[in-house]
Amino acid sequence: MRGHLSHSDRARAARHLARIVGRGDSLDNVIRRETNPLCLELTYGCLRHHFSLVEAVEARLARPLRAKDLDLFCLLLVGAYQLQRMRVPGHAAINETVSAARALGKPWAAALVNAVLRKLPTHPIGDASDHPPWLQGKIETQYGDHAPALLRANNQRAPMGLRVNRRKIEPADYRALLKRADIAFDDAWLPESILLRKPQPSATLPGFKDGAIAVQDVGAQLVGGFMREQLQGGCRVLDACAAPGGKLFHLLESGLALDVTALDNAPMRLQALSEMAQRLGHGGFRAITADACGLAWWDGEPFDLVIIDAPCSGSGTLRRHPDIKVTRTPQQVRRTNRLQGALLRNLWRTVRPGCTLLYCTCSILAEENDQVVESFLEAHEDARATGVVLPTGAATRHGWQMLPTDPATDGFYLARIDKQA
Amino acid sequence: MALLDILTFPDPRLRTKAQPVTVVDAMIRTLVDDMLETMYGAPGIGLAANQVNAAKRVIVIDISENRNEPHVFINPRLEVAGGRVETDEGCLSVPGFYEPVTRRERVHVEALDQHGEPFTLEAEGLLSVCIQHECDHLEGKLFVDYLSNLKRARIRQKLSKSQRARA
Repeated sequence: MRGHLSHSDRARAARHLARIVGRGDSLDNVIRRETNPLCLELTYGCLRHHFSLVEAVEARLARPLRAKDLDLFCLLLVGAYQLQRMRVPGHAAINETVSAARALGKPWAAALVNAVLRKLPTHPIGDASDHPPWLQGKIETQYGDHAPALLRANNQRAPMGLRVNRRKIEPADYRALLKRADIAFDDAWLPESILLRKPQPSATLPGFKDGAIAVQDVGAQLVGGFMREQLQGGCRVLDACAAPGGKLFHLLESGLALDVTALDNAPMRLQALSEMAQRLGHGGFRAITADACGLAWWDGEPFDLVIIDAPCSGSGTLRRHPDIKVTRTPQQVRRTNRLQGALLRNLWRTVRPGCTLLYCTCSILAEENDQVVESFLEAHEDARATGVVLPTGAATRHGWQMLPTDPATDGFYLARIDKQA
Repeated sequence: MALLDILTFPDPRLRTKAQPVTVVDAMIRTLVDDMLETMYGAPGIGLAANQVNAAKRVIVIDISENRNEPHVFINPRLEVAGGRVETDEGCLSVPGFYEPVTRRERVHVEALDQHGEPFTLEAEGLLSVCIQHECDHLEGKLFVDYLSNLKRARIRQKLSKSQRARA
């Protein structure tokens, strides 16, 4: 067997991009086994600046490429990204990209790649927002004057946050380990939260294999921390859309004796969750593959806390998942939007009177956040939103919104809904 | 040690089923050494004996970055497990082409090493994919067999043409 597209990082990046752009595969899926830093930088960068790169390249192609040459088109994007956004010397960027065309098995395209890249200016033109029009429209409508800053923030690189597993190691001891390994970091709001100054592969962090830490956005950790504050020992908790399990594990690391049920409708995702639980040394929760829009899985015993980390557009995590900008459609957003309301209405029935439901998303769009909660509240007399305050972000009408304009966090939304006794 | 010639698709000899090795003797050890050298020189991450026109059940693999962790499998027996994963595969016998192939996530292998000692290995990730790819060779099977007829025909055509051009 020949190595993965053996020696061309650029050709490999073009292949990854073609899978995402052409087939709608997710970035996480496509790069699961990719370890080469240059290839990763190219893949992320080309998705982050997809729209302006496409425009620049298309303007310099005499005629559009055939559909089956999508990999070649993506290679042109890779070339353009190096020329315009990276500090690769122009001649090197062009030469390497031309030889990558050969590695793609398309030596006939060498001259074409050369010609297009030589015509490209070596800096980005204009100040394109690099968002799809439908999403940019929604953000501008909702955020007004604040929109340009938010659009810019979405195109930054995501920071790497760690959550110390307090069941395995004290946060202070883990910080000492990082210092000894010469890894620079900053503290975040919670004692267990750590922000690395420079992202690095998780497997190279001290104690990762032994489950001393998990990689998790520090904003997501604030949501988890808020959940923990709602709980005391013996509580019966439902995590309705549990995978990949970050918030669930965060709760289990609190040291409280909880009775936790974790649902997810995808057996594969639940399997991944169990593997992660094993690494972190967590047991003692029930994982059920079930559709949270029904109640077939429920034994009828109500919960003291129900957590709905609802499926959403992911529009708060564009820095981490720039592929969302390229592959997500407004139709998909509408579909998950209906699902969000359905989950909320259905699971409300499992909340013990006098107890609480937490609704959260990784979206910055009101239609998936406050508006979902609002129409739910209108239809349910026994429901009251009781406000959330977190150390970063801003209050909304019914909940709290974190935004990536605070570079430490992704854009999360959280609402707390109490059920009248 | 010697560099061996690697057969190129659609060479019919790639379709020969490899025979089990009865004794791991000096000849087999020479074959293993030559195959490793050929694999490193190609460069590739795995090579099956059929590819160098020796119909023996012998494969060599090294997926490490530093090219210093060779695996040798003689008479390998495979059990596959786990979910399905898709990887872009390429092959030293199908130069210049990379296509996504779906395989099983994990393998359990029993085989002999170059000293004739039996061993077992659990593999996942790239190593697992590579072992499955090489074991296919021993059965006369190539990764292009997993592709559509159209794709395979186009690859066959292009490679035949470039071989004629070289001849």
